Amino acid sequence: MVAVKLIPHILSWAGIVLVLLRGFPGRRSVVTLTSISGFVIGVVGTFTLFRSFPGTVVFGIVTSALGVVFLLIWGISVASIYRSTGRGVTFLWVERLVNTSLCAGMVAAIAGVVAGAVGICRLPVTDKTVLGLSLLVPASGAVAYAVAYATLAIEKRLPKSFAVSPYGMPTAVAALLLFSSSSILRLDLFSPLSMKVMKFAHDFVHQFMESMLIPDHVFIQSYLWRYIGLLFGKEIGFWGGLFIWFTPALLVLLAGQFERLPPVAHIRQGAQRRKILAAAIRERRFRLVIPLISLLFFVAAAYQSRFPSVEYWDPKPIVVTATSSGEIIIPKKGEVDLEDGKLHKFLFNRGGKDARFFVLMGPAGQLTVDLDACAICKPDGYGQADGTVICYYCKTLIPLETVGKPGGCNPVPITFAEKDDGVHIDALTLINEWGNTVQSTSKIKEGGK
Amino acid sequence: MKRLLRAVGVLLTSRITSPVVIGIFLIIYIVIAFFTEDALITQMELTRRSVVLVALLALLPLNIAGRIVAEIRAFIERRRLMYGNVAGSDPELFDETIEIAISPAFAGLRERLDVLGYRTRQTEHNLTAWQGGSIFPARQLFLFGVFCLFVGIFISLVTRTSYRGPVVEGVALPAPSGSGGIVERIRLEKSTGRILSKELIMEVAPSGKGDARTECGIYPPTRYHGSFVYPRFLGVALLVRFSAPDLPSAFEKHAILNIYPAGKEAPLEIPDSPYRLMVSMADPGDGSDPYVTGRMVFTFKLLKDKEVVFAGNVPGGGTFARDGYRLAFPDFRRMVITDFIQDYGVLFIWTAAILLGASFLYWLPVRLFFPRREMLFVRQGTDMIRACSRAEGNDRDHGGVFNEVLDLLDAGRAGERN
Repeated sequence: MVAVKLIPHILSWAGIVLVLLRGFPGRRSVVTLTSISGFVIGVVGTFTLFRSFPGTVVFGIVTSALGVVFLLIWGISVASIYRSTGRGVTFLWVERLVNTSLCAGMVAAIAGVVAGAVGICRLPVTDKTVLGLSLLVPASGAVAYAVAYATLAIEKRLPKSFAVSPYGMPTAVAALLLFSSSSILRLDLFSPLSMKVMKFAHDFVHQFMESMLIPDHVFIQSYLWRYIGLLFGKEIGFWGGLFIWFTPALLVLLAGQFERLPPVAHIRQGAQRRKILAAAIRERRFRLVIPLISLLFFVAAAYQSRFPSVEYWDPKPIVVTATSSGEIIIPKKGEVDLEDGKLHKFLFNRGGKDARFFVLMGPAGQLTVDLDACAICKPDGYGQADGTVICYYCKTLIPLETVGKPGGCNPVPITFAEKDDGVHIDALTLINEWGNTVQSTSKIKEGGK
Repeated sequence: MKRLLRAVGVLLTSRITSPVVIGIFLIIYIVIAFFTEDALITQMELTRRSVVLVALLALLPLNIAGRIVAEIRAFIERRRLMYGNVAGSDPELFDETIEIAISPAFAGLRERLDVLGYRTRQTEHNLTAWQGGSIFPARQLFLFGVFCLFVGIFISLVTRTSYRGPVVEGVALPAPSGSGGIVERIRLEKSTGRILSKELIMEVAPSGKGDARTECGIYPPTRYHGSFVYPRFLGVALLVRFSAPDLPSAFEKHAILNIYPAGKEAPLEIPDSPYRLMVSMADPGDGSDPYVTGRMVFTFKLLKDKEVVFAGNVPGGGTFARDGYRLAFPDFRRMVITDFIQDYGVLFIWTAAILLGASFLYWLPVRLFFPRREMLFVRQGTDMIRACSRAEGNDRDHGGVFNEVLDLLDAGRAGERN
């Protein structure tokens, strides 16, 4: 089962090695050795981090590394389009640097480290002993060695026309890393990106309207305000996220397409001129293959993020009532076991107003009571999976360790008392907190006014 | 010093300066977004307070200004070459430059190019041919637009001041200058426009000699004593008189209540007492807007701590009395919560929008239907010709013509040799 889970990561790793070998022609041994070493370092380093720090920290580090890779790709893709379209813009020293063994080794090593780190995050690291570590080193080394040398053999058989441009190579490496990480819920980058885009769009539109002295919704035609309101919904986060997600690969594609053809004015034989131009166009088309494949991997990563193969634990809310003193009392071992580490949802009604909340025992063994809503999004609620709860509206993952803490897309915590007979919650506080939260998030939906 | 100046020149005219600066701000935004939910506002505040970031932001308009100068210089230089006003040619100004031996076919080249649809001009040393319109004006409009945009953002971010105050009928306009005229009337009317649903007009009397009567509307915002008048929310300035059996004295206050539209509640604390009022405008139920008609009935709830003592309706100018409690609203006036904003960056941003729109409208048809294509043939001494070519669109077709012309010259020379 573990081996099956690792298949996408091993295939991604093989793809990365293949692209690196093609991207650094003539540096095969350096690329092979450094990528294998990097992979083993990534696996062992992340394993060591898991031994020393809570999972949230380790996943945070690996996600940040992936984020940096994505940012780098953005920079590289912008440089590629400038180089292709801008007269007088050259990156000669960069291109010279890229062709050195040092650069080839560094890129291969970094790609290996990140790929190894992502791979180990897929495994349930239960044996965190030194023995586990000592077994992991040869195992990861053997896998990396086998995959890298099999890829090397394949690469030698590929036609020469299968070329990888200096800009296509990092794009492909990033696409494969992001594809590999997208199958791990806590390493997914696309959903947090969409959420940040949604927040940015909201802030930007609000600031823009204030800066340009554009009147408030009170004065605007309602049909027009409905269009403006679209900029505040989760859809803008999704489409904006897609735009940011695909742009690097698209820019590299366009850069390849816009690449200037070689000067042929000095050639006086028309046939030779046409031959040179045709060869250049053919070569240019071949160089588009890798960015196109990268684009497909970006699509696959976004798809996996949008439709993860994870079933969320989302129980039907249990209806609860308050006592005459205005308290909601939920026994620890009643209809449900509050201490089983699962999210338990409840529904309280007073005066026609519903308040949905959940009780959860965190990894540290502390109970927490929270609204089934956050202070930012529409109250679509939360589901639980893989050491996290997920906000259904914006797809943000909240590590279980941070549930019960206020802020961001975290569920809004509710004050409660833990007594022998169960969890005691003040009904008025709950209903007021729910009302305030839902009212403020509805304002966001209307345009944050 | 010379090297430093050259480096500054390169920095200001480089095409990559602006993307790099924008990239730096993007990275700062991402870093901030890790720590706070209000990343954009935090970044704006951080930029405002940091000299380094302000200097970095200033690089954007400076770089665009540098690009404008560099591109105008290149355009003038190319134009002078094309007019044959100067000898020689700068390869940097063209896509392709080649030197070939002079050919007898050069004499008939002008006719050939005329036949191919090019307009031509010949001087003693030069032959120039061109087709289509240049996108240079569009490019300049675009660059000026971007310049205005960055200047606007810079000025707005660094110098914007904002003061919020209630504009009340019969009271002096609370302008930051401190010398606002009396607001004679506030009118809210239905608008028939496609964008605004309502029109709001604040009629302000002259504040002194030389001052004119002003009508402040919604959009575009009116300028009053150097500040933009930016209406934000509507409400009512309500004179509230309240007395209760357990209060030693009656309470009276001109309350500024943000209670528009009808039904929206605003709290009013009665100081040094457990009492609190929740006030709203009652909906007349006939589809009319009390703010427009001026016929206002106020709905109130009187709370003592958390308990509701009583609730009811009082028309403007009316009184409510029960069990020793007395609540009166003897005076009410229309009120607009207004921001007085001093921000000259806004003007630049509006200008930028116009320039960028004009640039696009010019660029699209020229680029699609008649892009500029140019050829220049310059005699180099007695036996060489330097041929230059440049295209702003359809460059493969133009390249084909250019190569054909060069072939023609070459064939003419081969004919002469034979």
